[in-house]
Amino acid sequence: ADGGADLGIDEEIKITKRRQPIAKLDEARLLSNAGIPKLRKITKERLKFRGKGHEFSDVSRLLNIYQLWLDDLYPRAKFADGLAMIEKLGHRKTMQMKRKEWIDESKPRIRYDTTPEP
Amino acid sequence: MEGENYKRDPIDLEVRAHVYSLVSAVGGSSADLDGRYVLGDDALACLKDLKKWLNLYDNNLNRFDVARCIADANLVRGDLLEILARWREDETDDRMKYKTALACVELLVPLTWPFEIDDTRMTVNHHTHIPYLQLAQVSYKQAVLHHDDAKILRTAIRVALPSMAEERSERSARDEGIIRIVLYFLRNVALISQPSDLAQEEDEAEVSRSATIDAFHYQDVFNFLLTMSSSIGDEFNQQDVMILETLFHLLKGVNPEKLFMGHDTFRTKQTDEFRDILRKEKDMLSGYAKHAPTRHNRFGTMIWVKREEEKVSTVSGQNVIGNADATLIKLDKQKKWNKPQQRSRNKTEEPLTNYEFDREIPLNNSGRKHLRVFIEEFLDSSFNPLFTHLRKAIEREAERVTPSHSRQYFYLVYWFLRAECTRREAIRRQRINQNQHDTSITEEESFGIVASVLNQETFVLLNRTMQRSLDEKSWLDLNAGMKCFTQILLTVQEMANSPNDEDLEIAENIQNRIFYEQTTHDRIISILRNFNPSQHSFGYLDACTELSHVFLRILERYSRQNVDLQIRTRRRIRKKRQRQQKPVNREDGGGGEEDEAFGNSDDDIQEAQRASSERKFDFTRFVARFTTQPCVDTFVHFLRYYRELDPEKLKRAHRFFYRVAFKMEQSLILFRLDILALFYRLTQGPEPLLAESNSQKAIFKEWEELVRQVFRRLVKKMGERKETLGVELLFSKIPQTMYYLEHGFEREITKVK
Repeated sequence: ADGGADLGIDEEIKITKRRQPIAKLDEARLLSNAGIPKLRKITKERLKFRGKGHEFSDVSRLLNIYQLWLDDLYPRAKFADGLAMIEKLGHRKTMQMKRKEWIDESKPRIRYDTTPEP
Repeated sequence: MEGENYKRDPIDLEVRAHVYSLVSAVGGSSADLDGRYVLGDDALACLKDLKKWLNLYDNNLNRFDVARCIADANLVRGDLLEILARWREDETDDRMKYKTALACVELLVPLTWPFEIDDTRMTVNHHTHIPYLQLAQVSYKQAVLHHDDAKILRTAIRVALPSMAEERSERSARDEGIIRIVLYFLRNVALISQPSDLAQEEDEAEVSRSATIDAFHYQDVFNFLLTMSSSIGDEFNQQDVMILETLFHLLKGVNPEKLFMGHDTFRTKQTDEFRDILRKEKDMLSGYAKHAPTRHNRFGTMIWVKREEEKVSTVSGQNVIGNADATLIKLDKQKKWNKPQQRSRNKTEEPLTNYEFDREIPLNNSGRKHLRVFIEEFLDSSFNPLFTHLRKAIEREAERVTPSHSRQYFYLVYWFLRAECTRREAIRRQRINQNQHDTSITEEESFGIVASVLNQETFVLLNRTMQRSLDEKSWLDLNAGMKCFTQILLTVQEMANSPNDEDLEIAENIQNRIFYEQTTHDRIISILRNFNPSQHSFGYLDACTELSHVFLRILERYSRQNVDLQIRTRRRIRKKRQRQQKPVNREDGGGGEEDEAFGNSDDDIQEAQRASSERKFDFTRFVARFTTQPCVDTFVHFLRYYRELDPEKLKRAHRFFYRVAFKMEQSLILFRLDILALFYRLTQGPEPLLAESNSQKAIFKEWEELVRQVFRRLVKKMGERKETLGVELLFSKIPQTMYYLEHGFEREITKVK
């Protein structure tokens, strides 16, 4: 019963073009090297303030640094949109854990003598 | 084919023929009598037939076909109004004319009836006819207000007079019906307005609010309303809600402050406003000129922005040279993608309804004058009886009261209280101008004339309504409730400043009662916390920020004066009890679950065991609940409109942020990039708050100082903890880590054993 027709030669092969997936600003991207780790480096090295009397120029510089960082991380979004998206990500459980970790890392290390004994 | 379909008459030809023949049989202008209107032989029967058509065809089949045909046939302008105009003042006893006039009003009421747009009952037929009919109604209103040689509204009222003259006990159901119909006619006339989404055919000024007020004044409608509302309760009973509706549609959106300004003050105010607007425009243009290109548009400058790792971005245009801020702003502007906004149906539909009250309606001079006279008389004679009567009806949930009535009630309470406060202010100013040092208190100066809405019953009703509309998410109701509550607080504060001892004592009492309930405090916080830009309109945002501002301010003052303010809290005592009852279960592992099950099974008992207790009020603790992220976010959202806010609103936002950052020492909450960027834009950006106009100069200075202080703190904190704060700037802070971020060390927790 198997003829040539069943081999599937005659059937037209449909070629559906896949759309290029749109890059998302998600946790993975935010935690990648270009994301928060890089931001931590930047803030450590490049943030310098002139202090009293220069409040506005200091903050302007601060905002510009963040804008350029965000532009590198996710060029698609405008600054305000990008900030809103990141802020929203910050409510996720995993992000909150991460944020706590980062804060804990910077805490002065205190040795607890009273470690629970087995 | 399609075109033909489109052109085909949507109405059944036979219906059209019937209606047309009836309309032409009503009457027409006579060739013999210089074109005067002459009634047809069976005019009365024809009018009744038309009414039957409207009722039996349109109403029963849920269509608008007959109404559309009547609009096409020009019945209102050509016949009904002419018939009413024929009924002269001295012919009151003419039975026949009275009957035809009544029949005309009976037809006018359904023809001018507002369209309720309710998705569940709408059909294709409705959607085809409503826009046409809305425009037709506007032209009806125009014709009614500006009839050439007769006072139509006055004639309509004359129809009701014989029934009104009857004693209430003597009045028949038919008499009540006639009064009702006339009131509905007045309401409809007040309500109809040019729909904002349709092209206008009439001159809009002819159907504007001012024109309505003028007509109401000249045709004695105001006197009629005053008569009805001052004797409500004894002579009239059922009519209160219709008067309420008429007043609401007459007053919604009118600014009472402008109403009570003297003619000269109003003139200067208008001049000032105009000057401010011109300055604003000049400011805008000069702001643009500052950054505008100095050469022609094909000059073709292009610059590089060098970035780390040997990367560059390019920006074109000469205006970005030598200005890092401008470069980055332009870089940002070039991006094409916008984050999709959340949209909700609820919000977009709101402004289209007839119950919208947040849009300000301007009045012209004569409108202002006439309305002012009416409002003063109304406050003096009718406010208390009408509003007491209405409150009772709403409380009783009388049959005639619908949910929208309670909203209108609260809006009007807000409106009249505000009007009364402004009036007192105006009188006081006038006295000072005339150098009268006479401080003796006259009768009219007491707050007695608005006392009917400042009693415990009203507060109870208001609290209940606010809570219910909050629970049911009916935001327009809540908006009206918030406005009303804010205004009550302001009025009470005014009373507390009054020289009258009696007023003082009453104010003290009211404040005590308002602030005594902790549920009120909680509700205000939860309203502010739960603002959601995709659900709520700007008017709502404005109302909820104002409410919390006023509430906080007055409560602060009050709790400072009365150090031992007690509040009633509802506390659950069941937990303690359970713990006492079942100490054994807690010991073993499964105890928790059992406890839970136990708790769920007798919910009723829990409810009963919820007891109220009193405790001392702690203002700082209360404010601490305001200075949390959700509340701050609401105010940040409010501030985003800074270009459109007037000085008073900017001040409101300023005071809140000042409280957060400095009084409560919680500036950390503000250290978030979008808030910082907003603050920066507000003071330094390309579109700053306009500092030029006189009225805004002072508030701009205050804002600049506040922002500078916040930035100073930020810079200081960043200097100390660059790395951690650098990341945390992106996010809303986690409560547990806030203490560390603020102080740089953990809070020492001492456990109480």
